[in-house]
Amino acid sequence: MKNKRISILAALLVSALLLAACPQPVPVAETAVEAPASDAAVQGGVWVEGSSADATILNPILASDSASFDVLGWFFPSLLGQDPFSGAIVPTEMAESWDVSEDGLIWTFHLQDGVMWSDGEQVTADDFKFTYDAIASDLVETPRKANLDNIASIDVLDPLTIQVTYEEVKCDALNNLGLGWLPSHLYAEDFSDVMDSPLNEEPAVSAGPFIFNEWIRDDNATVLRNDTYWKGAPNMDGWIYKIVPDAGARLAQLQTGELDLIGVQPEQLTTVQLNPDLNLHKFQDDGYSYIGLNQANPENPQAGQDEDGNLVAQDPHPVLSDLAVRQAIAHALDYDAIISKVYLGQGYQIASNVLPAVGWAHDPSLQPYAFDTELASQILDDASWTDSDGDGVRECNGCATAEAGATLTIRLQTNAGNTTREDLGALVQDQLNSIGFDIQFEAIEFGTLVGELLGQTFDMVIIGWTGLGTDPNDDSFWHTKFDTPGSGFNFVSYQNPRIDELLEQAVSVPGCATDERATFYHEIQKIIHDDIPYVFVTGSVGNTGYSKKFNGTDPGPWSFYHNVETWSLAQ
Amino acid sequence: MARYIVRRLVQAIPTLLGVSLISFVIVYNSPGDPILIRTFDPNITQETREILRRQLGLDQHWALQYIGWLTGVTVRGGDVVEEFDRDEIRCSYFPGLNATFCDSGGGILRGNLGTSIATNQTVWERLVERMWATFQLGVSALVVSLLVGVPLGVISAVRQASIFDASVRVLAVVGNALPAFWFGLLLIYFFGVVLGWLPTGGMRTVSLTNEFDLADRIRHLVLPTIVLAVGGVALISRFMRTETLEVIRTDYIRMAKAKGVAASRVWFVHALRNALIPLMTILGPGILGILSGAVITETIFSWPGMGRMTFSAAVQRDYPTVMGTVMFFSLLTILGNLLSDILYGVVDPRVRL
Repeated sequence: MKNKRISILAALLVSALLLAACPQPVPVAETAVEAPASDAAVQGGVWVEGSSADATILNPILASDSASFDVLGWFFPSLLGQDPFSGAIVPTEMAESWDVSEDGLIWTFHLQDGVMWSDGEQVTADDFKFTYDAIASDLVETPRKANLDNIASIDVLDPLTIQVTYEEVKCDALNNLGLGWLPSHLYAEDFSDVMDSPLNEEPAVSAGPFIFNEWIRDDNATVLRNDTYWKGAPNMDGWIYKIVPDAGARLAQLQTGELDLIGVQPEQLTTVQLNPDLNLHKFQDDGYSYIGLNQANPENPQAGQDEDGNLVAQDPHPVLSDLAVRQAIAHALDYDAIISKVYLGQGYQIASNVLPAVGWAHDPSLQPYAFDTELASQILDDASWTDSDGDGVRECNGCATAEAGATLTIRLQTNAGNTTREDLGALVQDQLNSIGFDIQFEAIEFGTLVGELLGQTFDMVIIGWTGLGTDPNDDSFWHTKFDTPGSGFNFVSYQNPRIDELLEQAVSVPGCATDERATFYHEIQKIIHDDIPYVFVTGSVGNTGYSKKFNGTDPGPWSFYHNVETWSLAQ
Repeated sequence: MARYIVRRLVQAIPTLLGVSLISFVIVYNSPGDPILIRTFDPNITQETREILRRQLGLDQHWALQYIGWLTGVTVRGGDVVEEFDRDEIRCSYFPGLNATFCDSGGGILRGNLGTSIATNQTVWERLVERMWATFQLGVSALVVSLLVGVPLGVISAVRQASIFDASVRVLAVVGNALPAFWFGLLLIYFFGVVLGWLPTGGMRTVSLTNEFDLADRIRHLVLPTIVLAVGGVALISRFMRTETLEVIRTDYIRMAKAKGVAASRVWFVHALRNALIPLMTILGPGILGILSGAVITETIFSWPGMGRMTFSAAVQRDYPTVMGTVMFFSLLTILGNLLSDILYGVVDPRVRL
């Protein structure tokens, strides 16, 4: 299983730089899936994936970017597998089965026997324990420390049995156990060499389908077939990760056959579709784009809770804390035009925070906001935002939140370099100004934007989430305890005690049955839809273009390579 | 001469210190935070971020960080020997000052540029990794600029107002104005995709073995060299044209012509040698211009050079890497200017150093 949230940072960073699509995760419509080769597989061949960014470090607990995981994902075994089509957690990796105690706190995992590192050592529960103990160690600087939250203890019952004890029931807790395992026999027992081991650059052993061969930074990384892979050695000789930073150059190289797989930009789709040597894999990515509306005053960012967990009343945003203004914004945007013109059709309107891909939790009855400028104007008029001086911009003439005479002026920001978001910003500015807003749009550098965002000093921001994964729990965006200026992800300062309560109940359902959890998520979606802390713009659609040179490719939204060991060179 | 060089090098020390202080202040106080950028992930707790920030020393005032970067010695309040003492970092506590001093054995004064936040490699290692690629591209672009630009400039000067001159002047303006990303993609599309003559990017054909193949390397060098050299050709041809025009109006050229020296010999021996002198002044800075102008070309052609690395380090707020490249390029600038001045003395005996 991949740690999906990791890609949020990476994808944002990458898109900030180069507007690259993240070639991964949920198909709307499958195109051209070849039947697996029936007779003897053809040996040989190399697959070359094009990437905009290079890996930074090949250690599964130190890496925090998706490019690193693209490469190191070949080598390190993990406890849990993920169904490539549904995203559900499945016993296809090291854990072949597991039991849960009645109170839901003790999980016992039974491991595959006979899985070997490529140097002949067996992969055992000790590797798992070593990896998680390393994360806990003071000697190891890693952003993964939060993976240990809520874990009371990890015990090795025997080399093939692991017992994990939780402090409390959290239905999405398994997601934290998916990190790759380090080969404990190659590291010092006290973790002193984890940070600067040469293995971080050249992972010597592998328990996956490929073995590390060579890594030339910012150029390429190559891996070779692992003849001892426990699921069966791949037919292909190797796989290459080639760094091509420019999107246009990546497409050119896919056309010439120098690359076999790239993430396709919307404007490149036709080129790929018309090329008889290429396949297109289209999928609903597990992310969405939105406009975040700061509910609190950006001049005075405050935490949502005090130290004892009591709600702290926020200094409300002079304009955006007015629900009428938020409703007007939601109704004033022409979503169809945005999706067709800005996203070139690669998107779909969503009503609230749970994506249709998480079928059991999504509420299909909830309707997205309709484009209706008259209604939007009416709402503003009714809320006493009117244009009394005839300059085309509305002022507060008895409105609920702002001082009398204050104009309907709002800053709108996004990250420069992401042309999709820049186009969206211009369109949003245009559409809102036409009903009497005064939107000041600016695109700023990504690092600066992140500072404004988490510092809660923005008004409105265009940004997106990717890699949300298969569990609908997104409490970090809405719960007041994550409204912490400078760090928390409830940076819109959304405050609703009912939501806090529902989010907590939804992850602590004993037994974690999906139909019971779904009730909570349906109510959450309804409230978020009505309160409008975000204006949901579009769900993400991903496109992967790839060559037809191998038979047996069967890309799933959650994994392109899940059956790579069965691919065989087309004759 | 030797005394001159030594004096210039000694003068370079305060310059470098000034550069380091100014760029350090700007880099470390620019908006954005390397920790937030690397941990922009709802699953990462604030506590984790604080630990990372403390371990990297980013929680300290920039002045303390600057001293640490210079000397490798960091100061912290209180007794924190336990927390920071490692094999490679020696810490000791001074009760009188109630402060802990840690010596990492690094610091730029001891020739250590520090460790990259993004990749955990030493900055020097990162520079060395990319240097060769940038150097290769830079040198080939410079050679092409000179070999093409100088003759174009001289010929268009002696054929002043001819069609050739007009076309060279138009080409120079166009060449200067051509955006590298557009020209690069155009060449990739035409020579790489449509004609299939040349590779579309990278330094080599990647394979599982990556064996060295000179012909393959040269083929990969062609397109990026053209893109990078086009600006240089434009600049040098314009420059040479102006200089040559000035020189050919002088008495000694008229004298040479009057003596009956062959025309080509007049242009390329008598005139060129004197016209070349001012070129020396732009050569030193010009080399740097080509190195630093390589960011876009390196990106379009997937060339793993220093320009691209510096740009991405800046975006990721990888402070040590940014500072390392700034210092490296500053040193090169100083050496480049020094070399320019020395060469000036060599080509023009009137100049005494």
